[in-house]
Amino acid sequence: MKHLSTITVFSQNTPGVLYRIADLFLRRKINIESLTVSEIELPGQSRFTITVRADGDLVEKVVKQLYRIIEVSKVVDSLDHELIFKELSFIKVHTKDAAARHELERLAQMSGAKITYVTGRFLVIEKAGTEEEINNIYQLLKPYGIKEFVRSGRIAVFKE
Amino acid sequence: MKMMGSQAVMESLVQAGVKIVFGYPGGAIMPIYDALYDYQDKIKHVLVRHEQGAAHAAEGYARACGKPGVCFATSGPGATNLVTGIADAMLDSVPIVCITGQVTSALIGSDAFQEADVIGVTTPITKWNYQIIKAAEIPEVLAKAFHIATTGRPGPVVIDITKDAQFGRLDFFYPKKVTIASYNPNLFPHPKQIELAAELLNNAKRPYVLFGHGVLIAKAEKELRTLIEKGGLPAAATLHGISALPADHPLYVGFLGMHGNYGPNVLSNKADVVLAVGMRFDDRVTGRLKDYLPRAKIIHIDIDPAELNKNVKTYIPIVADAKIALQELTQKIKKNHHRPWLAEFRKCDQLEMTKVIKNESYPRAGQIKMAEVITMLSEKTKGRAIIVVDVGQHQMVAARYYKPVLADSFITSGGMGTMGFALPAGMGAKFAAPEREVIVVCGDGGFQMNIQELATIAQEQIPLKIIILNNSYLGMVRQWQELFFNKRYSSTRLQNPDFIQIAKGFYIKGEKVQDRSDLSLALSRLIKAKTPYLLEIMVEKEGNVFPMVPSGASVEEIRLE
Ligand SMILES: Cc1ncc(C[n+]2csc(CCOP(=O)(O)OP(=O)(O)O)c2C)c(N)n1
Ligand SMILES: [Mg+2]
Repeated sequence: MKHLSTITVFSQNTPGVLYRIADLFLRRKINIESLTVSEIELPGQSRFTITVRADGDLVEKVVKQLYRIIEVSKVVDSLDHELIFKELSFIKVHTKDAAARHELERLAQMSGAKITYVTGRFLVIEKAGTEEEINNIYQLLKPYGIKEFVRSGRIAVFKE
Repeated sequence: MKMMGSQAVMESLVQAGVKIVFGYPGGAIMPIYDALYDYQDKIKHVLVRHEQGAAHAAEGYARACGKPGVCFATSGPGATNLVTGIADAMLDSVPIVCITGQVTSALIGSDAFQEADVIGVTTPITKWNYQIIKAAEIPEVLAKAFHIATTGRPGPVVIDITKDAQFGRLDFFYPKKVTIASYNPNLFPHPKQIELAAELLNNAKRPYVLFGHGVLIAKAEKELRTLIEKGGLPAAATLHGISALPADHPLYVGFLGMHGNYGPNVLSNKADVVLAVGMRFDDRVTGRLKDYLPRAKIIHIDIDPAELNKNVKTYIPIVADAKIALQELTQKIKKNHHRPWLAEFRKCDQLEMTKVIKNESYPRAGQIKMAEVITMLSEKTKGRAIIVVDVGQHQMVAARYYKPVLADSFITSGGMGTMGFALPAGMGAKFAAPEREVIVVCGDGGFQMNIQELATIAQEQIPLKIIILNNSYLGMVRQWQELFFNKRYSSTRLQNPDFIQIAKGFYIKGEKVQDRSDLSLALSRLIKAKTPYLLEIMVEKEGNVFPMVPSGASVEEIRLE
């Protein structure tokens, strides 16, 4: 059965690792839903947070194959309840007039989002949250006319 | 010591214990070739005639002696010509280190002359690869390359070195020991797992050992023998496991897989406990997976955790070096025998003997058969030669009928099934084991895929023996066409050149055998020759290799005819 997995990969921060990781998913025909990479608390180490929707068995096999990558030191496959996770999104929305702007400001506040940039024609709303929360605010804002929408992909830390 | 990058490459190879390099020069690797000129007394360079030949030669070398094979190629086409060999080494876990020249770092990414993205191209087919753009990195990266290629599950490593790095200067220091925090192959089995495995084996009624390449890689031949002798365990080899156990060992029951022996295949499904060592349950071995080993609890020993539970569900996975795991397991198992079970294998052998082998190995009439050549070769060499075989019907026949008694003596391309492998790999094997008889067995098709290496063999005057089993067909494909495509022989008939004339053109002695009555003496002449020698043997055109597990069928559905 397909389900959402968050795969956290710790590796040395050297060129080529991303390529090898992506290739493993590609070969197994697993579509990567999101991927974020950054340096972490240990110097020279990076942390990949990858979300995929796939069969648990297949994910387990890929996790083991990820260990074949020389630079990879640790791989953890987690379910949502084992993680604190979030992503960040920017939503640029049209504002026809002052009334629309006010309404959007209210909606943003209600949804726990921030207005980060305002012009006469549009404003940029910044929302951090789970994928679901971001989808919700997107749906709320859609009727106003969305000019641009971007999300960062998930980052996560372990509860344990 | 201050030196140039190119010299540092040579010095690093010396430090790594490299004695021989197979390669081909070109613009982007000229500084390294220039440095090589001063190292000729320490490192022999074999000038192949195509880079694919270099990669396979490096593989053949590694497989015959266990040391890493090394090759050089220039940027662009030189490097891309290595690709098939690299992929072959990846699938067959062969330690090779390929050093490729690359255009000057400032030009990378600009579509410069002879620029190819070698790292990009080789990433999916290497255990590790790295591009060096600074001379100072050379010793450390090369030390790492050899460490990674040869430890854990071995594999190919590509090091791409830009021309400016080769020209750059550095203070040479070669690390004595390499440690990579994220790379520590686990050698020692978990004691609990060993105990569980021993218990399972001790209580088994029909235990069965399947051994593969891993046993040879770990140099665990003796340990395998000790284990099966103590437990009285019948044991079968995968294609690459052949020669890990002497073929005449009383517990050896034969070769597994699509064209393997009858008993080892058909009885797999009767086994109640299977101990798989250093093998990876390739689809050519398992047949239809869902009907494979239905009654067995599987103990699987492999150094690569990703192989465990990959294709078959494992009851007791053991991540370890085969040598150590087998030693520990031997201590824990009880002395035992399984004579009735072993007798079942021997009964199958009888059946295979009357239905297949007798007529294949000792025919009285008709054209020469491949099996008869290999059987005779096996008898004449007493199973003591290194046999390097190409891909096709002759490969399966060689695997079935050559009976090696020494380790590392059956070398072929298994995972990739790369036609054209044998001639260059045989060359590499001969350099690795000059004191041993090395015999290449090729088809008429595959021989033409790296035929240019005859020039290398002639130039080096290595007494490599070459047998072409000429059936005037791409035989293996033709067999499938006959059996599964209504005999529609689409593009499998070969109109071949005169191989003896060709050999002559390369200054290699050769002779052609057409009659059964000439075969024995011709083989003796081949074996006795002190120079490279080519024997073209005309064999039955439309012979088929049996037994056969049709693809997609269960191993139980193996056909004897
Ligand atoms: C490079 C490559 N191309 C194609 C194949 C597919 N293939 C497998 S066996 C075979 C026929 C080999 O013919 P030959 O070398 O004459 O050997 P035979 O089977 O006749 O003994 C072919 C074409 C392959 N394995 N490798
Ligand atoms: Mg042929």
